[in-house]
Order: sequence, then C-alpha cells, then structure tokens
Amino acid sequence: MLRAGDVTVLAGGTDLMPQTQAGRLRFRPVLMNVRRVPELKGIAEDNGVVRIGALVTITELLDSALVRERLNLLWQACDHFASDQIRNAATIGGNLCNASPAGDTLVPLLALEARVVLAAKPNGTLQIRRVPLAQFLLGPGRSCRGLTELLAAVEVPLPGAGFVGEFYKHGTRPGLDISTISIAAGARRDGAVLRDVRIAFGAVAPTVIRAPRAEAALEGHRADAATLEAAVQAALAEIHPISDVRASDWYRRELIHNMLKRVLTHVCKL
Amino acid sequence: MNEPAKTWSVPDSLIGKRIPKMDAPDKASGRTRYIQDLEIPGALHGKILRSTRVHARILSIDTSAAKALAGVHAVITAADVPWQRPIGVGRDHLPLKADRVLSLRDEIAAVAADSEAIAEAALKLIRVVYEPLPVLATTIAASAPGAPRLHPDRPDNVAMTFDYAQGDLAQGEAESDVVVEDVFRLHYVTHCCMGVSGVIAEFDPSGNLLLYSNTQVPFLHKREFAELLGIDPGRIRIIQPPIGGGFGSKLDIYPFEPIAIFLAGITKRPVKLVFTREEEFIASPTRQPVLLKLRSGCRKDGTLTFRDVETVHDNGAYTSWGATTPFVMMQTISSLYRVPHCKYRTVAVYTNNPYAGSFRGYGNLQATFAVEAHMDKLAEAVGMDGLAFRLKNAQHPGEVTPQGMHFKSCGLKECLTTAAQRSDFLRKQAENRSRWNDPDPVKRGIGMASMLHVGGGAKIYPSDGCGTILKIDDFAHVTLITGASEIGQGSETVLAQLVCEELGLPMTAVTVVNNDTDITPWDVGVHASRTTFIAGNSAIGAARKAKRKILEAAAAKTGNRIDELGLAGGFITASSGEKLFELAKFLRSLHFSDKADLVMTSFYYEPPSRHQDKQFKGDVSAAYAWATQVCEIELDTETGIVRLLKVTGAHDVGRVLNRLGIEGQIEGGIVMGQGYALTEDLRVEAGVIRNPNFRDYKLVTAPEIPEMDISFIETMDGEGPQGAKGVGEAPAICIAAAVANAIHNATGTRITALPFAPENVYRALHGASEPPVWNAA
Ligand SMILES: Cc1cc2nc3c(=O)[nH]c(=O)nc-3n(C[C@H](O)[C@H](O)[C@H](O)COP(=O)(O)OP(=O)(O)OC[C@H]3O[C@@H](n4cnc5c(N)ncnc54)[C@H](O)[C@@H]3O)c2cc1C
Repeated sequence: MLRAGDVTVLAGGTDLMPQTQAGRLRFRPVLMNVRRVPELKGIAEDNGVVRIGALVTITELLDSALVRERLNLLWQACDHFASDQIRNAATIGGNLCNASPAGDTLVPLLALEARVVLAAKPNGTLQIRRVPLAQFLLGPGRSCRGLTELLAAVEVPLPGAGFVGEFYKHGTRPGLDISTISIAAGARRDGAVLRDVRIAFGAVAPTVIRAPRAEAALEGHRADAATLEAAVQAALAEIHPISDVRASDWYRRELIHNMLKRVLTHVCKL
Repeated sequence: MNEPAKTWSVPDSLIGKRIPKMDAPDKASGRTRYIQDLEIPGALHGKILRSTRVHARILSIDTSAAKALAGVHAVITAADVPWQRPIGVGRDHLPLKADRVLSLRDEIAAVAADSEAIAEAALKLIRVVYEPLPVLATTIAASAPGAPRLHPDRPDNVAMTFDYAQGDLAQGEAESDVVVEDVFRLHYVTHCCMGVSGVIAEFDPSGNLLLYSNTQVPFLHKREFAELLGIDPGRIRIIQPPIGGGFGSKLDIYPFEPIAIFLAGITKRPVKLVFTREEEFIASPTRQPVLLKLRSGCRKDGTLTFRDVETVHDNGAYTSWGATTPFVMMQTISSLYRVPHCKYRTVAVYTNNPYAGSFRGYGNLQATFAVEAHMDKLAEAVGMDGLAFRLKNAQHPGEVTPQGMHFKSCGLKECLTTAAQRSDFLRKQAENRSRWNDPDPVKRGIGMASMLHVGGGAKIYPSDGCGTILKIDDFAHVTLITGASEIGQGSETVLAQLVCEELGLPMTAVTVVNNDTDITPWDVGVHASRTTFIAGNSAIGAARKAKRKILEAAAAKTGNRIDELGLAGGFITASSGEKLFELAKFLRSLHFSDKADLVMTSFYYEPPSRHQDKQFKGDVSAAYAWATQVCEIELDTETGIVRLLKVTGAHDVGRVLNRLGIEGQIEGGIVMGQGYALTEDLRVEAGVIRNPNFRDYKLVTAPEIPEMDISFIETMDGEGPQGAKGVGEAPAICIAAAVANAIHNATGTRITALPFAPENVYRALHGASEPPVWNAA
C-alpha cells in the first residue's frame, strides 16, 4: 500500500485528528491504520541498544522498567507528556514523525543520540535505513522520511553507567501543555570532572536541537559555578527562539538561561 | 385492598444537609439529553458564515454556488430579511450584517441544509468581497479625533457612560494623610461553558414559534423575539433542554438565535444551530476588559477617606451586558468598605474587538482587584496590618451606605477574622516577607481580599419576581413548577429541598418542572445570584399554602387547632410528634371531597428592593453576600510560575441550605477565579482572537486546583429563604485580588495587570513589563 506513496499513516491519531480537523492537513486518498502491525511494537534491549517500536505508546514507555531505569531522561519526558488519555493513544513514532520542535520525546532522544529505523518495500523486498535523529528532523513538521517509508522503530544506545540526566519542560500548567521550552541535560561524573555531557533543547529552534558548544564548555571540566555559567552563555548563542502565542523569544531565552542553570546544578549535584 | 406500606426516611430537617443534585445520576451516566442530542424529525442544520475581516465594507455576497449545492435548503443574507431589527442590550446589532462588518465574529450569511457537513460545505462556496476599513483595535484609536464611526448614531464611538458621586471628593482628599494611585488592566476571558450555545427553531403552520434554547432568560427572550418578528409574545414558546453551564453567557440575545429563526421561517422546517467550540470562543461573549485608574486615601489612623475611579471599557463592536458592569463595580467601590467620598466614572468605547457580556461576578472581579490592592497598599503606608485595616473600615449590620444599600445582615467582620485565623494569615505574611532576600528562587506569598455582592436578587428590571405553581397528587407526590431555570447550578435541587422541608417529605417525593415557558410561571431569569433567594422564597410560599390547606383539613377532622399540627416524615403529626394520618392516605381521602384543591400558586412578588435612581442610588437587593478569601501561593522567580496552593475562604451565605450544593458552587467559583487570575487569557490582537481553542486558552486542570478550607458564616438573613442568601457569583470574585496581594507578599512587587501568567509575572519581577498606563482619551 505504502509503495504507491499516496498514503496517510495513522498511529494514535492524536496529532493527525486535530490537524485535519483544523484544516491544516488533508488526508491522502488512503488512510493506513498501522496500529495492529506487531513488528512496530515492543521495547527490547540488545547489545547495549534499546529498540523502541514506533507504535509504543507514551504509557507503555512510562510502564517500562527498562526505560525508567536505563533511559530515565526519556522516561521523565514521558512523565510530562499531555494527560493520561493522550498518553494511552500517543505513540513515540507519531511524536517523531510529527517532527514538532516542541515534541517532548524528541529532546531526550536527541540527547541520547538515538537513530530512527525507516522501512520501505519498494519492490517486494524490505529495505531498512537507519538515520540519526539529528538528521531525520528537517524543520517544523518536516523529516527526511520518504513518502513510501514507515518509521519502524527508534534505537537508543544505552548511556554509560553513572549517566545522570534531567528533563525540564516549561508550560503554564503541570499537565496538558505544549512545551514553551524544554531541556534535556545529562552527564557522567568522573571524579570531579564531567564526561559524556549531553544537552538538547525543544521549542527554541525550527527543530529540537543539541547544544554542542554548551556541551563542550562542560565536557572534561570540573563542575563549578563558573563553568556552568560559561555553558549557559554558550547555549544562549546556540538557540534561535521565536515569539508566538505561547511566549516571546525574550522570555524563552530567559527560561533557557535560568532553567538550564538549574537543571545543570541538579545534574552536577552542585 | 391494603395500601402498600410506604417507608419514609425523613430526617428532622433537610436544611444544611448534603443533598446530591437531582440531575447528577443522569449527567454522570450520560443520559442527559442536551440540545446536541435532540433530534427533531425533519430538522435542518444551520451554519453561519462569519466575517474574515475585522472592519470592512461588504461590497458583494455571492451565494449562488452555495444555493446550488445538493442538500442545501436555504442560503440567506441581510437582503433576504430586510425587516430584521437590531438586537441585544444596546439594540445596535443586526443579526445579519448588511453593508459593513465591525468585528471578526460578524454574521454575513447563513445556510440551512440536510446535514452539518453539507451546511459547512455550502459556507465555503459563498463569495464575499470586502473593502477593508481602518481597524479600531484600541479604545484610544476609537476615541481619536477623526476615527471612523462604528455606529452612525455615535459620532464619538462612545457606547455608554456612567457617572456616580457621593460626598465631596475634595474634602476627602484634604482629610487624607496618605493617597495612593494606580492603573489596573483587566483582560479578556470567556465563559468556556461545556455546553456550547445553541438553539432549535420551529414554526407551526399557524405561525407559532417553538424554540429549544440554552438561554438563561426565557421570559425576557420571548419578548425580544416577538419584537424582532413583529408577533405577539404569546405565540412564542421556549423550552430549555438541560443546559451545560451559563455563567452569564446566555443572558443576552445573540445573532445566531434570530438567524435560526429566519432559516426556520424561510424553509418551513425546524432548524438546529449549535456552535462548534471554535465558534463558541469567537462568537460568544467575553468578560468585560477594563482599564481602571484608582486613587484612594486614608487618615493616619487607617480610616478611609475617599476613592476616585475612572474606567475605560473596551465595548467591542456591539453593546451587550459587559458595558453595564459599572452598576456592580460602583457598589464595590462605594460600599465594600465604608468610604465617605467617592467618585466613579466609566466610558465604554466602541472598537472592532469582540464584545463582552455578563459573566459570573459582573464587573466585581475587576473592581475588587483594584480596591483590594489599595486596601493593602494603604494599610502598609500607615503601618497597619491588612487585617486590622480592613476590619477598621468594614461594613457592619444595619449600615445604609451613601449609595443607598442597606445591609440588614452583614458578616464581613466575621468573614475577615475567620479567614485570617484559619489561614494563620498574619504569621505567614510576616514570615514570607522576611524571606524576600534569601537565596531560594521559590517564594511563598499569602494575600487577602474581601467582596460584597448582591445576595437577595437584583432589581435590574422593573420586576425581580419569580412564580411557583405547586401541586400535590393523591400519593403525596409534589410537582414543583417554577419559573427559575436550571443551568447546572443546582437550583432545582435546592428548591425541591425547601419544599420538602415545609411538607415533611423526602426529596424523592418532588418532581421539578422548570424549562417550558408555556407551563412555568414568569421569572426574570438566572442571573445576579438570585435564584435560590427569589425562587426559593417563591417555592416556600407555595409549599406553605399547601401545608396550611392540608392542616386545615386535618384540623377539621381531629378538632385540633392547626398550629397544633405539623407535617413530618410523610405524616400529619400532632405537636407531641404522634403520627395522626399518613399524608398520602389523607390526601386521597380529600380527593373524594370538595376540598381536594391542591394546586397552589405563589409569587415572591416582589423582594423588598429598590431600583437605582438616575444617580445610581438605591437598595437594589433584598440581601447582600460577603466573603473573605485568603490565597497562598508559591512563586518561582526564575520562571514566573505562580502556583495557587491553598484558598481559605469565609463566606457569609446567610444560611447553608444544601451543603453539597454550596460547596460545589464555592469550589467551582474559586477555580473560575483562579483561571481569571492565573491561566485564562483570551488573546485579542487587532480584533483577532489568537487562541480560540483549549490548547492555547488555558483552563485550570485538576492537578492545579488548590486545597480549599471553606467556612460558612451563617448570618440568618431575615428576608432569605430559611435565612439563606445568594452565593452563585461570590466565590469567583476575590481570587485574583487575593493572589495579587500574595504576589506582593512573596516578592515585594505589585502587579496591576492580569493575568498572572508566567511570562507576565516574570517580566514584572525583572522590570521588563509595560505596566498599565492611564490613556483614556
Ligand atoms: C491534547 C493533546 C496534548 C498533547 N500533548 C503533547 C505533549 O505534552 N508533548 C508532545 O510531545 N506532544 C503532545 N501532543 C501531540 C501528540 O500527542 C504527540 O505528538 C504524539 O506522540 C503523536 O503520536 P500519534 O501516535 O498520536 O501520532 P498520529 O497522530 O497518529 O501521527 C502523527 C504523524 O506521524 C505520522 N506517523 C505516525 N506513525 C507513523 C509511522 N510509524 N510511520 C510513518 N509515519 C507515522 C502520521 O502520518 C502523522 O503525520 C498532544 C496532543 C494532544 C491532542
């Protein structure tokens, strides 16, 4: 069916339905419900990589001990996701394919250096390609997924032992809110020195982004107040927030400044 | 045959008990049939084409393609109803706009079709050509010399003005040791009723009009529709299906109602027109946005001396009840506390923005926000604590205020002391203040505000009455037919309760009929927290008549005097408590005599209140409700997020009738006040609503609801039904004011503009906000 290319894929429908209802999106001639495809389900670890099927719901991620214990950054993001009803329907694949700069699982997945698994069957044989998340996301609502491709899974390499991360989401209320900004930050402490520093942001650029310069300001350094401030300043040079109905660009910058500092303080146990 | 035995389980008194709402099982189980669920055979579906321009001339409307669509029965524009008349409070609003649109909600054309989908498809086929006109997005723009007139008969774009004065302001200022002045800006919010607006209109072959309508004021609407159609009001019948909330939004007549009627008239079919949620955001009214300048003074000893208020109301494109909120605002200004000298002035200016209607609290949230900020500010200036300062100036029972309000009962002082004690107000206030400079970015604050609102009806119209018909059948089942509408507030339950209390019957013995103008007696409508008070007194009147009649008949049989007899537990009882007759059996025996005349009528006609005179002076309500609410917050200075942790409220409710009902009203009102204070913000930019959806218009969600500690101050109002006063609006009024004071207590920053959304608070704390300035033209 996908081969023809004129197909709208339906997973949980929590993005699709409001978008079509609001007239922002039109169904293609074929609406393909993938919800019962077993190959797109399940969470499993193999050789240091966790494979999360595209159809795994936010609730299933929250219920998974593997995710909670080994991918805690992702688990925290799920804990801030929408409401129970939405979590029961919303899938990680839908969140990824929707490619919103405010998508909540995208931020920790980017920080954890995840890659997406894309599947197609152009001439009867299954073709699989793996794309790092940073390359998968092209802009608001845009990804490099081909029209005839299905997102099959997302693969997340397990962070090293001792990796500690924190997810922060800013909205005006505790539940049911789209991120005004979000932060996923994590690191491993090697004595007094920080290693494997990962920082990603949501809703401050056309896609979720990593902050390599902020990471570099911390990587291999001792975690003290001056280093943190340097990292925060570096981060501010890496973001390009806009003003919209939820917040002004100025306020988004202030939030990144204040809350990145707070998150890093927690991560570094300062 | 033996009569089946009846088991009555009637406690001694129902007053103050926790009585579940009579409509709760139906609503909880999904059985309630709202207007959306009504399927009238043969009904067509109506849809409205609204303007896509904020202010423009309509050059042409082409409906030909829409008319040609299969399944479309009518497409109408102003040209099809040349006889239509202006509607609404200001009579400044044609249902279908003819040559000009003044706001984005404006109705241009309407379709009746076999289905909603066809009607919607037809709307898309209508072509409108506009010529843009300059948009008057602010009251300043609308007041500027040379600004285009929005209504031809209003050269200055002024919709309404209000001027009130008492005492001598100059003297008040001269006597003041401290004077403070601030400008406050109150924003747009909207009701967000779960049940959206809707109507079904149907003519019978003789031209009688039947409306299924969600209105809050069926009897007044009959008259307005009759005027519009040029027919006798007697030919209009309004049936109200169960209404999913009103909060004031359904108090005026809006274009969609006449439009459905036009469509029904033209197609000769019933027409159902129910809003979508987006439409509800765009085309139902808002709360009145206000810019308010307040100057207040007091003496060194804390005695208030004067208040001087000016407000500008952005009236929007048309005039509905929002423009008249000064009626209530000036009561708070002049009479919440004792102030000898007052001046109040409002100018409501037409703009191209959405227009405001009535909304729970009716201007009082806005006025209280300003007044209570100054109560704190003045107290601080003279070195008093906020509680002592308020107590010093509080009203007391018996007071007749310079505005003419007579407080026969008044629990304000008890409200103040109770709320302060139960929240440990003074200690926490001092402690929070001492933490201003400590390094923790998360601060705590506590703030207090009080309110005064009508609680015994409100004489807005020539009459404030309500009628009751009560019948008792020969199984002692009571049918209470009341003019009072149920809009989810629990009125039918409390009315049934009051009747049962008189007749000694259980709640199951009463059916309430309250939704059909052909059956129910006249009533002025659900508004002004009046229903329990007015309709309650009316229901009690009818029940007492029935009781008297029954006891007279019993006395004739037993030879007792009627004051030796009573009704309890389903029996006629002697003063000893002895059961003399089973009521149902006794009524059946009456039935076979000439005394079975058990249909009672009663009007509470009128409450002892007075219409305001031309100077806005008068005792408009038979009783007044009071409350003090203390809000405790946590404020993160690095994000601006304010969390409401706890509300301690003390409410002078006269007397608690249905405890469950009053708790529900107060909790719901607090949450509505919380939304106004913290999260709800209808963003209107250049006449366009930027967030007409629940994603971006933030209602308070369950986890945000604060802990509540509510005390009832029972002042046993002499005129109230069983001593009760109205409380429908009271609980929403103080929250924003108390939260503002709490933010000041937490941070030392006073914010005078709502809402306290994170970015706004953050900006205020970091000197990056634009505080409101007084820029009345
Ligand atoms: C009330 C509400 C609250 C929300 N709150 C949040 C929140 O807090 N955080 C957040 O990030 N998001 C939130 N969302 C957005 C949404 O729930 C998420 O993006 C969700 O993960 C989408 O998943 P879905 O399965 O419902 O996707 P769908 O709506 O089914 O699909 C989304 C898009 O992805 C495509 N697609 C889905 N699966 C595949 C696949 N396997 N292969 C190829 N294409 C695919 C679809 O064609 C569609 O274009 C919210 C939505 C609502 C309605």
